[in-house]
Amino acid sequence: MQDTATKNILVVDDEQVMREFLADVLEDFNVVKAADGDEAIEKLKTDRYDLIITDMKMPRVSGEEVVKFAKETYPDSKIIVISGYSSLFSVSNTLGYGVCAFLSKPFTIKQIRSEVEKSLGLGVNGPDGLELGNGI
Amino acid sequence: MSLFGSLKQFGLTERFVVVVSLVIVASMLIISGYLINRQNDIYRTELEKRGQALVDNLAYNAEYGVILESTIELDNLIKGVARANDIIYVRILAADGRVLAQTGSNIYNNAKVTDETTEPEVKADKFGKTFYRASDGTEFMELTYPVETVRQSISRENLGVVSDYSSREDTYIREVIGEVRVGLTFSNLNREVTKSQTASILLTFVVVLSAIIIMTAFVRIIIRPIESLVRVTDQISKGDLTKSVDIDRNDEIGLLANSFNRMIESLKKSQDEIEEYNRNLEEKIIERTEELEEAQTQLIQSEKMVAIGQLAAGVAHELNNPLGGILGYAQFTLEKIQNKNAENMTDKDIKSYKRYLCDIETQSRRCKSIVQNLLKFSRTSQTVEFDNVNVNAVIEDTLTFVEHQLMMNQITLVKNLDSGIPIIKGNPSQLQQVFTNIIINAMHASESGNEIVLTSRFAPPLGEFPGAVEIAFADAGRGISEEHLKKIFEPFFTTKDVGKGTGLGLSVSYGIIKEHGGEIKVKSTLGEGTTFTVIIPVEKTPCPSDK
Repeated sequence: MQDTATKNILVVDDEQVMREFLADVLEDFNVVKAADGDEAIEKLKTDRYDLIITDMKMPRVSGEEVVKFAKETYPDSKIIVISGYSSLFSVSNTLGYGVCAFLSKPFTIKQIRSEVEKSLGLGVNGPDGLELGNGI
Repeated sequence: MSLFGSLKQFGLTERFVVVVSLVIVASMLIISGYLINRQNDIYRTELEKRGQALVDNLAYNAEYGVILESTIELDNLIKGVARANDIIYVRILAADGRVLAQTGSNIYNNAKVTDETTEPEVKADKFGKTFYRASDGTEFMELTYPVETVRQSISRENLGVVSDYSSREDTYIREVIGEVRVGLTFSNLNREVTKSQTASILLTFVVVLSAIIIMTAFVRIIIRPIESLVRVTDQISKGDLTKSVDIDRNDEIGLLANSFNRMIESLKKSQDEIEEYNRNLEEKIIERTEELEEAQTQLIQSEKMVAIGQLAAGVAHELNNPLGGILGYAQFTLEKIQNKNAENMTDKDIKSYKRYLCDIETQSRRCKSIVQNLLKFSRTSQTVEFDNVNVNAVIEDTLTFVEHQLMMNQITLVKNLDSGIPIIKGNPSQLQQVFTNIIINAMHASESGNEIVLTSRFAPPLGEFPGAVEIAFADAGRGISEEHLKKIFEPFFTTKDVGKGTGLGLSVSYGIIKEHGGEIKVKSTLGEGTTFTVIIPVEKTPCPSDK
């Protein structure tokens, strides 16, 4: 628990419900929300995050820019891309930047938790890991 | 020329009769002229011969009367002669010019010689012939012959009975002792000529008259059927094919009439066939028009489906966002409830659950509205209903699907919507189809980072122009060449790769806007971009092509 609470996660999505939901699901972590790419890059400039969860298609500054910026600033940044487009093709060019995982909306709680833990190097048998997927 | 010119206004009969009559009259004139002339010559010759015989005879018989100067004997002699009616006078003169006897008129006084070649002087043993004109104008011919005698020159010793003159020629002298003059008139000749002329004129008249009668009858026989042909032709030319030529003859005209009647029959047959074809054609046209209308409806529908296909990614994204919320919160709520006993639930927990469920509800509604919007767009409407439409709302609906597509291509859409535009009469689904089509085209023409500027505005009424809502879509893409610009509204014209575009989008859009009484204008510069402007009048007016 201690581990998770100290982990900073930046959630970037123009959909308010997605931001809220991710914050709710990842309530054990220190979640910071950004409504678009611009805001995310501003936050990345001031703070360091253990994990970035970002949407791809956003007005003005896209998720791709966020990924690029994060990787340039902190090359070991862990990144999970979530997208409304179910096709992997639409995010394939971002995978080259070292994105850890790609999740297409709608995804299950188990999927997001599993990917978050994997990315942060927390064991799959982590504090909440085993119990969490049962509900699905 | 003027005669034939003026003849043109007459019918065939009149022309024919006039020409033939003229020919007859001319022929008659030539023939009778020749004949009268000849008759004249013969008569004159005859008269002269008779006159010569007469003067010869008179001169011979007057010998003793002249010698003796016996007026009584000479009178008796000339009275018998002067009875002939072409003799106007007979005169016997002595050699010294004294008149021994005369009868008839004295027309020779003051008469003038008309023919200078003739000689009035009497010569021995010679006929004289002189032509005169009397003071009253009468023309006459005078024939003369000398009265001769034989004077015997007898020597005294030879005095005796003369038994044979010829044997003693040298002793006889022929001597002119007087002359006979006979006036002969041509009046009988002139009368005869006049008579002949009258006869000729009468004859000519009779011939011409009978020629006219015969010709008229003959021409009628030929012309009447031709006139009947003309009448029937006239009626046929006016479209009346029920008439036929009623001529029953075995000659060429009969043949003509028969072939003409056959022509009418075949014409009638052709006309009936044409009418039949026309009827069939009309039915076919109606049938085809219905098929075409159906095809057009299908075309609009399939174009719409193509648009939906192109929008599918946008729609999916649009749905996936709320679905993500729904799925996530449903699972999350379930998980929370499973991990807690009812009695352990704090107010805070319940408050959280409520929020989760609220989100689920909101997002579900969002899904519903997206699906409804999509359904509304894809709905097949056989009859296009026109409603009051707020164009801005239609644009917003359209953008719901297109925005993500644009974002994916990193194209920014700038909206300049005039909230004050008036309501128009239109079909929202069809308008959405048009806008979608134009935006997708603009997107395909643009490169990443380009802008598409969407402007709506109201063009106020001016004169006959009722006022219109204008929606402009300006892209900064590659533009359309002039050559292509002419064709972009043609069906099946596309510059896109095979399978990417049907080439029907803009032609269908054009049709839709035409039905709204509006039009689509395009302005394009190669390398700078294209602006499509949709203009829809505030009050729908029938477009000129709807005639």
